[in-house]
Amino acid sequence: MAEVADDLPEAAGRRFADGAFSSGLTVPDFAACLQMGLEPVGYVQGFCVMQWGWRGMASPYGGFGAPNQGGPGSYTESWRCPHGFVSAEHRGWGQNFEQSWVEDAWVQGFSSAYERMVEEATSLGAHGVVGLVDTSGRLGDLGVLEFRVQGTAVRVKEGPAPVDGRPWTTYLAGQRLAKLIEAGYAPVSITAGVASVRIWAYCITEYLTEGSATAWGSQMAGAEIEQTAKAHMAVRRIAREHVRAQLGGDSLHGASLVTTERELGQGDAELQCILRGNRVRRFKSFDPIPAPRPTVRLS
Amino acid sequence: MSETPKDLPEGASRRLQELEHGLFTSDLSVNEFLLIKEVGFHPLGFVMGSSIYHTGIQTRKWGQSQELTKLTGAMYEARELAMARMEEEADELGADGVVGVRLDVNYYEWGKDAAEFIAVGTAVKAENGVSHRNKLGKPFTSDLSGQDFWTLMQTGYIPQGLVMGTCVYHIAHRGLGQTLGSAGQNVELPNFTQALYEARELAMTRMQDESNRLGASGIVGVRLEEKSHQWGSHTIEFLSLGTAVVKTSDEVTLPKPTTIISLDN
Repeated sequence: MAEVADDLPEAAGRRFADGAFSSGLTVPDFAACLQMGLEPVGYVQGFCVMQWGWRGMASPYGGFGAPNQGGPGSYTESWRCPHGFVSAEHRGWGQNFEQSWVEDAWVQGFSSAYERMVEEATSLGAHGVVGLVDTSGRLGDLGVLEFRVQGTAVRVKEGPAPVDGRPWTTYLAGQRLAKLIEAGYAPVSITAGVASVRIWAYCITEYLTEGSATAWGSQMAGAEIEQTAKAHMAVRRIAREHVRAQLGGDSLHGASLVTTERELGQGDAELQCILRGNRVRRFKSFDPIPAPRPTVRLS
Repeated sequence: MSETPKDLPEGASRRLQELEHGLFTSDLSVNEFLLIKEVGFHPLGFVMGSSIYHTGIQTRKWGQSQELTKLTGAMYEARELAMARMEEEADELGADGVVGVRLDVNYYEWGKDAAEFIAVGTAVKAENGVSHRNKLGKPFTSDLSGQDFWTLMQTGYIPQGLVMGTCVYHIAHRGLGQTLGSAGQNVELPNFTQALYEARELAMTRMQDESNRLGASGIVGVRLEEKSHQWGSHTIEFLSLGTAVVKTSDEVTLPKPTTIISLDN
């Protein structure tokens, strides 16, 4: 067995020194993996706790300054308030902007947790990690966010060691992984991209009085709320671009796109979009899978 | 019939006697019942064990992340007692094992710092009379459903016991100075990462130690749960659970999977 890497906790070493396997797979997935010649060697995990603050978050109601500029090349779009500049509490513009520093921090937290999990898998001599689950959550009232990545490390029965020494990873397990391989694709790694867009209402007066014009950029009843719609489109586009940049010619399989909106204050909201998926590579020419047969389940 | 162990209530004794006369109770669904019969087991009765435990309190250092060993011990001991009593009931019925075990913790208004730990499941026995008890001569326990039990048996593994490990951990409060020092930046807090990481690894190692005592070849269905119970947000219990299994045969009787398109989801 390889040495346990330096930045893993001591208990991990003792856990791995043990001969028995542990697996986080459900029994059907466990059975399906054995069928495929994948033997679970251990439940592996990685974590990263991040301070989760707000940088560049001057009050949106300053009014004097020009609209915020995102980092170079990042998305930003602004709208003029129909009332113009009224007071310090009522700025003359509204804005959508990409929070690239939030994206960078997310990437740092996620990748650190992921790399630690991969280290655990490597020290077990694993060929791959299946059934990966990643979550993040706030810890108590600390203003900190914890990233968690967990999965089951597997060895390919009588298989060669991974080519570049790094285990492959996938969110799939069991029968869904079997179908993927049957269709001629091999898992390469998981991939995840995040985008964060802040929306400041273009008119705080309209927002507070719920006036005839909406606060988010539309004058007519029943019309599209332009500012919010654009933010939603932008956040999804950015997340997709981030993932596309990681694919390097491989395909994305089983992608899931989750967008969450959070109200941070009056006329101040944040959109976050996470795109996850499995990076897969064709390893054999298309092998027709058996003709599908409809079934009816009694359960 | 053997004597009812002294620490089971009188009511249990009558109930279990009735069960010995052939009546069985179970919380299995119809499918689970049929699958358990299919692999040659018969349900004997619904068994349970409980323990009301005063988990107490432990002083925590405000600014220090540390394991609360007294609480860890209490949470572990209480579950162990509930499980042991459930095993006694199963033993009383002459069972080989207990399937579908669920572990719950309940809090009541009348008990401050006390909690009721309950273990329930369905005791089963092999129909051919071959003992499937574990290495310690006790009925095996597992949180597998009837479907999972069937599938596992087809892969040549049999359950040995529901194994668990726990670690109650206190996360340090951050001083004002520390918070201001890194204000406005999203950076890793390595001490926190290490502390929580260590806590989880401890829970998992303890679970693995239990499985080693059973001579298991592995643990399936590992789950890592996090609960704050009633301790406030800075104290977290990391509970790791799974079913220890042992390989009894290299013969895999599971049919080779075929690709199908299902009409339901």
